Amino acid sequence: MRKVLELKGVTMQFGGVTALNEVNLHVNEGEILALIGPNGAGKTTVFNVVTGVYKLTKGEIVFNGEISVVGKKRWQITEAGIARTFQNVRLFGEMTALENVITAGDVRSKSGFVGSLFGLPRSRREEKANKEKAIELLKFMGIDHVANKLGRNLPYGDQRRLEIARALGTQPKLLLLDEPAAGFNPSEKAALGETIKKIRDAGYTILLIEHDMSLIMGISDRVVVLDFGSKIADDSPKVVQNDPRVIEAYLGVPADAS
Amino acid sequence: MVFNLRDKSAELWERSPMPSRVAITLSAMIFAICLPFLGGTFLNTPISSYEAVLVYPVGLFVLMALGLNIVVGKSGLLDLGYVAFFAIGAYTMAILGTTTSLNFWQILPIGIGLAMLSGVLLGLPTLRLRGDYLAIVTLGFGEIVRIVALNTMSIGGPNGIANIPTPPKFLSLEYTLQNQKAYYWTVLFLIFLVIWMIRRLSSRRPGRAWESIRQDEDVADLMGVRTLKYKIWAFAIGAAIGGAGGVVFAAKSMFVAPEMFTLNTSILILACVVFGGMGNIWGVITGAVILAYLPERIRFISDARLLIFGLVLVIMMNVRPDGILPRKKREKSLHS
Amino acid sequence: MDFSVLVDQFFALTIDGIALGFIYSLIALGYTMVYGVLRLINFANSEIFMLGTFATIITSKNIFGYADDTEPLTGIKLVYTLLACMLASMIVCAIAGVLVEIIAYRRLRKTGSNRLTTLISAIGVSIVISETVRILTSSAPANNPRLLDKIYLISYMGSEFHIGSVRIPISAFEVRLDTLLVIVFAILLLICVDRFVKYSRLGKGIRAVSMSEQNSQLMGVNLNKVISSTFFVAGLMTGAASFFYTTVYESTKFNVGFELGLAAFTAAVLGGIGNIRGAFFGGIALGVLEIYAATIFGTQWKAVTAFVVLVLVLLFKPNGLFGESLQQARV
Repeated sequence: MRKVLELKGVTMQFGGVTALNEVNLHVNEGEILALIGPNGAGKTTVFNVVTGVYKLTKGEIVFNGEISVVGKKRWQITEAGIARTFQNVRLFGEMTALENVITAGDVRSKSGFVGSLFGLPRSRREEKANKEKAIELLKFMGIDHVANKLGRNLPYGDQRRLEIARALGTQPKLLLLDEPAAGFNPSEKAALGETIKKIRDAGYTILLIEHDMSLIMGISDRVVVLDFGSKIADDSPKVVQNDPRVIEAYLGVPADAS
Repeated sequence: MVFNLRDKSAELWERSPMPSRVAITLSAMIFAICLPFLGGTFLNTPISSYEAVLVYPVGLFVLMALGLNIVVGKSGLLDLGYVAFFAIGAYTMAILGTTTSLNFWQILPIGIGLAMLSGVLLGLPTLRLRGDYLAIVTLGFGEIVRIVALNTMSIGGPNGIANIPTPPKFLSLEYTLQNQKAYYWTVLFLIFLVIWMIRRLSSRRPGRAWESIRQDEDVADLMGVRTLKYKIWAFAIGAAIGGAGGVVFAAKSMFVAPEMFTLNTSILILACVVFGGMGNIWGVITGAVILAYLPERIRFISDARLLIFGLVLVIMMNVRPDGILPRKKREKSLHS
Repeated sequence: MDFSVLVDQFFALTIDGIALGFIYSLIALGYTMVYGVLRLINFANSEIFMLGTFATIITSKNIFGYADDTEPLTGIKLVYTLLACMLASMIVCAIAGVLVEIIAYRRLRKTGSNRLTTLISAIGVSIVISETVRILTSSAPANNPRLLDKIYLISYMGSEFHIGSVRIPISAFEVRLDTLLVIVFAILLLICVDRFVKYSRLGKGIRAVSMSEQNSQLMGVNLNKVISSTFFVAGLMTGAASFFYTTVYESTKFNVGFELGLAAFTAAVLGGIGNIRGAFFGGIALGVLEIYAATIFGTQWKAVTAFVVLVLVLLFKPNGLFGESLQQARV
C-alpha cells in the first residue's frame, strides 16, 4: 500500500516547549486515519507542520512518496495536494458558500492576472469549469441550497460542511479534518461519519483529528495516539481502545489502579 | 427595515437583462461626461471665477480613492504612503516634461510604469509584514519620497519644478487654464478605465484572491491562494492609478513641489475610501465625491479639513465600519 | 559623508545620543506596553507626547508666569518648578492616554473589530489631536523658558596628538547638567516601571493580559482596569519624555510628535515590541545611531535613519533584539 504521507522523526519546538517529539507516522492511500490524544498532545501541531504553518525544528515530512513538505510555501503544499479544515470554523465569512469553494478551486487554475483582466478564452473556460465543480461539491456535501448565502450567515452545521467542501475544492489527495464534528449532536455526528466515508470512497485519503470515540471507532481504519508530543500507539481502533497506555494518557492513572 | 440602497441597487442590476444594463451604463457615462455643462453654481467654488471648476479636483480624488481602494478596501492592506505614487507620477511628468520633448500622452504611460515599478519594489520586501507594520512602513516610504524630493537639488529641491507643459491639443480639445473641462474629461476617461478594470478583476480570480486575503490571509494561504503575488499586484495596480493621477495633476498645475505630497494627502484619500465603504466601488466614489466636494464649497471648514477627516475616520470606524453604503446581506440570484 | 566630526566629537555625540535615546525609550514604552496588552500599535502615542510638551510650556509660562527671557532659576525654586512641570506633563499624558483608549479603542475591542478598523481609528485619533492643536496654535511653535541653565559640568575640548604624521584625535567630552538629569531621571523612571510591572499586583495583571487575554480574565483579572492602567502608565512615561524633551530642546510645535513617534516606535520594534526592557535598549541604540547618522550624512536625513533602521529590523530580525515575533500566523 502506498504511503500518501510520511512523518519521519518530526520534532517541533517553540522556545522551551517541545510540542512534537520524534514523531513517526504514516497515512496509507485511501485510508481514514484518526489522530487522537488528550488536549495539548500536539494533534493540531501535526496539521500545522504538515501544511507548512510551522517550520519544522527537525525531521522530514514526505508527501506522496516524493515531495518533501519541509521548506515549501503553504500554497505550494496545497497545490501539491494537501488540504485542511480548522478546529474553529474559519470560513471567508463575507463570501457566499459558492465563492468560498470557487476560491479554493482557483489553485488549480492556470490563468493569471492578464487572462482575468482581458477575459481571455482560457480564463473564461476555467471560470466556468471551476464554478460547475464548486456547485457539484456543494451538492456532494448537501449544502447547495445555501450556495448564495454569505458564509457568516450560515447555520453552524452548514458552516462545518462548507469548510469541508472548500477544502475539497482544492482537489487534494490528502484531506486533513480538524475536529469536524465539534459541536454536533449524535445524529449529526453519525451523518458526518457517513459523509467522511463517502469522501474516502470517492478517492480521497483522510487524516482526522477527533475526540468522539464512537465516531472514530465507527469510521477509522487506523488510529494514532499522541500524548505530550510523542506517539504512544498506532494500530487498529479496537486494539488502541484497549491499550493500557492510551487509557492512562486520557485518565491519568494506570488502567488497573483503583 | 432601513431601506438599504446598496443591496437594492445590486438587486436591480442583477435582475436586469443585458440590454438594460448597457442602457444604464451608457446613460450614467453620458451624465458624467456632460456634468460640466450642467451649469449652475453648485459646480463652482464660492471664490473662483472659472466655470465648473470643481469637477476636476473631485474627479482626481475619485480616481485616487479608487486606486487606494484596491489596496486597502479590497485586499485589506493598510497603505499610509499612497501619496508617494502620486508624487512619482507627478515628478515624472515634471522632469520629462521640462527636460525632454515628450508630451503628456507619451509621458503618461512612463509615469504609470514608474509608479507601478516602485509599487512592486516597495511591496516585495514589505508585504510579508503583518498589517500594523505594513502601515508604518508604507507611511515611512511616503515620507521618504517627499524628503528625497526635498533634498535633491537636481529635481528642484524645495522649490520644485515649474513650467511643466500642458498637454497638447487632443482632437479638438484644448487644455488651457480656462478649459478645466478638458482635464476633467481626461480624469473621467481614466476613471471609466479603472472602474472597468476593477469590475473585471473582482468577479474573477484576482478579486477572489484579494477578498480572501482581506478576510483571513492565513486561511487563504492554506487554501492555495498565492497571497504574496496578489498582494503585490494590488500594490502595483494601486500605484499605477496613483501615478496616472500624478501625471495629470502635474500637467494641469504646471508646477510641482515636495510640499504638495504630504502624509495629509494619503490620509485624505484613505478617509474617502473608509467613508464610502471599503471595497465597494460605488461607496468609494460616493465617499470621495462628498469628502472632496464639501470642503471646497464650505470654505470655513476648509482649514479644518484634515481635522474633520480625522473625525470621519474615528467615527466611521466606531459607528459604521462598513461605510455609508454598507452591505447588509448579499444574496445574489443564481442568474448572474 | 563626513566622518571627521564624528571622530573628533565622538564622546560628546555619544552622550547626546544616549540622552536622546532615553527620551526615545520612555516614549517607546508607550508603544510597547500598549502593544503588549492590546496587540495594537498606539498611533496616538506620538500626539500624546506632543500634548505633554505643550503641558510643560503651559505650566512654566502660564501657571508659573515665566517668560522667554526669564533668568534661569536656582535652588529650591528650580527644583519644585521643574518637578511641577514634569508632573504636569506626566499627568496630562496619562489622562490623555486613558481617554484615547476609551474613545477610540474600547468600543472596537468590545465588538471584536478587525485590526484594520482599529488601526484606522487610531490614525484618526492621532490626526484629530494634532490638527486640534495646530488650529489652536495657528501652527506656531511654542518656546520653553530656560529655567534650568545649561551648565557644563565637565567640559573637555578634545585634543589631538601626533605620532609622526599620523593624527590621533582625542574626542571632545562634555556633560551638560540638563543632559545628565535626563539620563539620571530616565533611568530611575525605567527602573520604576520595570519594578512596577514585575512586582505590583496591577503590573502582574498587565503581564497576564499580555500573555493571554482570555486566561487572565478567567483568573479574575479586570480587563478594562488593566488596560486603562496600561495606558495610564504608558502616558506617565511619555509625559516624562515630553518634559525632558522640552527642557533640553526648548521648543515644540504641533507636529513634533510625528518624527519622534516614528523614532520611538522604531526603538520599540528594535528592542522587541511588547518587551519593556527591549524598549530601554532599543531607545538608546536608536538615539545614538541617529546622532551619528546626522553627523555623518547631515541633519536633514535624520528622519530617514529611523525609517531605514525600522525596515531593516522588520526584514531581518522582526523579533527585535529581545521580543516576540510579529509574523506568527494564527491558526
